[in-house]
Amino acid sequence: HNFSFFLSFFLFLGGKYDYDLVVIGGGSGGLACSKEAAQFGQKVAVLDYVDPTVKGKIKIWGLGGTCVNVGCIPKKLIHQAALFGTALKDAKKYGWQISEPVCHDWATMMEGVQNHVRSLNWGHRVQLQDKKVKYLNFKGSLVDEHTVKGLTKAGKETILTAKNIVIVTGGRPKYPTNIPGAVEHGITSDDMFWLKKSPGKTLVVGASYVALECAGFLTGIGLDTTVMVRSIALRGFDQQMAGLVTDYMETYGTKFAWKCVPKRVDKLSSGALQVTWTDTQTGGEHQDTYDSVLWAVGRAPETKALGLDKLGVKLNQETGKIVLATDESTSVPNIYALGDIGEGRPELTPTAIKAGKLLARRLAGQSAELMNYDNVPTTVFTPLEYGCVGLSEEEAEKRHGKDNIEVYHAFYKPLEFTVAERDASQCYIKVVCKRFGDQTILGLHFTGPNAGEVMQGFAMGFQCGATYSHLSQTVGIHPTCAEEVVKVNITKHSGLDATVTGC
Amino acid sequence: MAHRLLARRIWTLSIKDISCHPASSATIAPSFSTSLQSATTRVSFLTPSRTLPRSLPHTSRRAVSFNVQDNEDFTERVINSELPVLVDFHAQWCGPCKILGPRLEKAVAKQKGRVAMAKVDIDDHTDLAIEYGVSAVPTVIAMRGGDVVDHFVGIKDDDELDSFVSKIIGQ
Repeated sequence: HNFSFFLSFFLFLGGKYDYDLVVIGGGSGGLACSKEAAQFGQKVAVLDYVDPTVKGKIKIWGLGGTCVNVGCIPKKLIHQAALFGTALKDAKKYGWQISEPVCHDWATMMEGVQNHVRSLNWGHRVQLQDKKVKYLNFKGSLVDEHTVKGLTKAGKETILTAKNIVIVTGGRPKYPTNIPGAVEHGITSDDMFWLKKSPGKTLVVGASYVALECAGFLTGIGLDTTVMVRSIALRGFDQQMAGLVTDYMETYGTKFAWKCVPKRVDKLSSGALQVTWTDTQTGGEHQDTYDSVLWAVGRAPETKALGLDKLGVKLNQETGKIVLATDESTSVPNIYALGDIGEGRPELTPTAIKAGKLLARRLAGQSAELMNYDNVPTTVFTPLEYGCVGLSEEEAEKRHGKDNIEVYHAFYKPLEFTVAERDASQCYIKVVCKRFGDQTILGLHFTGPNAGEVMQGFAMGFQCGATYSHLSQTVGIHPTCAEEVVKVNITKHSGLDATVTGC
Repeated sequence: MAHRLLARRIWTLSIKDISCHPASSATIAPSFSTSLQSATTRVSFLTPSRTLPRSLPHTSRRAVSFNVQDNEDFTERVINSELPVLVDFHAQWCGPCKILGPRLEKAVAKQKGRVAMAKVDIDDHTDLAIEYGVSAVPTVIAMRGGDVVDHFVGIKDDDELDSFVSKIIGQ
């Protein structure tokens, strides 16, 4: 490690490169990578730049990337706002005298959310300063494998040279450009979190976790919300669990237009948006008016303006994402990429952060450890939250064969739901294991309140290679929902009723 | 030295005039500037086109502080200020800032024009805040002759602020 440090210092002294590392993108991955690299004495610059949303009217957001500004953070806060709405209804059964009607004010909520986001933007700036990382508000693009061009908003150009370059530019929501009126009249999640006024009656097109989470919190704060699904919900996730999530949402007031595809969006003289769509099952055409149309039909990697083709950085033809090796290297030496822009990488903040840190350590010659993308837990923050780690049941069947897996499951009722007289039909746990031998757990799935909090601890067990017997040997904490995970004992094979009761 | 004291005296006198005559800024400014121009050329911030209209409040009470508009404004009104200036680095999302702000203005107002107060919103002027080493907010720095002479972070009570402000002026 001493030798590589001396070498890079020597090269730097020789005036070879401006920086040891230039990071293009100041989001979860970029910030983690640059700060870690600086800690090892590397001279680092991070370029962060936000192109205006198509709407253009939205203020450009600050440092921190998607997660901080238009993703995880505002999403979770607004999800919390919606949960409070449900809690207020439950509270009456618990004796709270709450006068009706209880209304929600969008502007008050947004002020609180945006204030927190701004405090995070500031916090990141201070951290970069503290860790001696140079921050540049430039739009970065590649000139060659050691040269980055930075462009200010005013168009002023700066050239930076670097020993290594990391591309961490992430992605932006897609617009369905083939649908007339989609771009002019619709919005995406990039706009949603900065709306000054309530979106009103909303049509959410898409059935990804972004679509369902947004539709979920909009319903929760009292707005008339419809989700338009082309085929299936939560593609890539366990489909039984996806069904439970959408069933719950339907029970709680979110409307679903299954197997429907929007055809066009027109703006009426009243200002409302008229959406025409086709029901692919009947072939019939329908129309309805909405105040807002939210497109949640996927995210596109931010690679266009980077100049990657010029350098021969290989992209996946279908997704447009950068093809990466296990050490995050691209097809061009000295150029690396991570986070959402990487092909086959999970589009999650914690994996981007960890991969960023490990890459920084490798580049500084401190370590050879590669990022482990297996066993990554995640949670969908829909009104009924869904947390999972490992394989879906269908994926486990595919890999091991249906007869070689054992699925333990249980329908449980959270204690809090009882007095509140809430329907718990979709609160469910599924533990997918190998059928024979140690019965290693292949996948863990949980729908219920605080699914993310419940799943985190189990993810550690999963990482340690937990088996069904480890699970059943663990004593539950009572009374909780999480204890039902360690208590699962009914198998799907048995065909027995999986509904469990508390004590 | 003498002309600086003279300028300061004229500034104090003129402020008293303004507080006594709640006329429009347009009528006050010209008369103010002619008397000044004869006295000194150094007091650059007291020009009719800029300072007075801005520092005069919309309310009947004289505004104690001003919001820094940009880097040039900061250079002109803080770094090049003849008076010591307290710079209040604050943010919209900072609860304690909303408590400290009015308290600081009260302490500054008590000094009757012997110290000025500039407010910098760190979200609008991030680079400036970073340049002055601001990390947590509120951060208040005291500047005299373009140099930072004192600073504090967080909330202080009225007595602590009075003594902080007096110390800045006294030296």
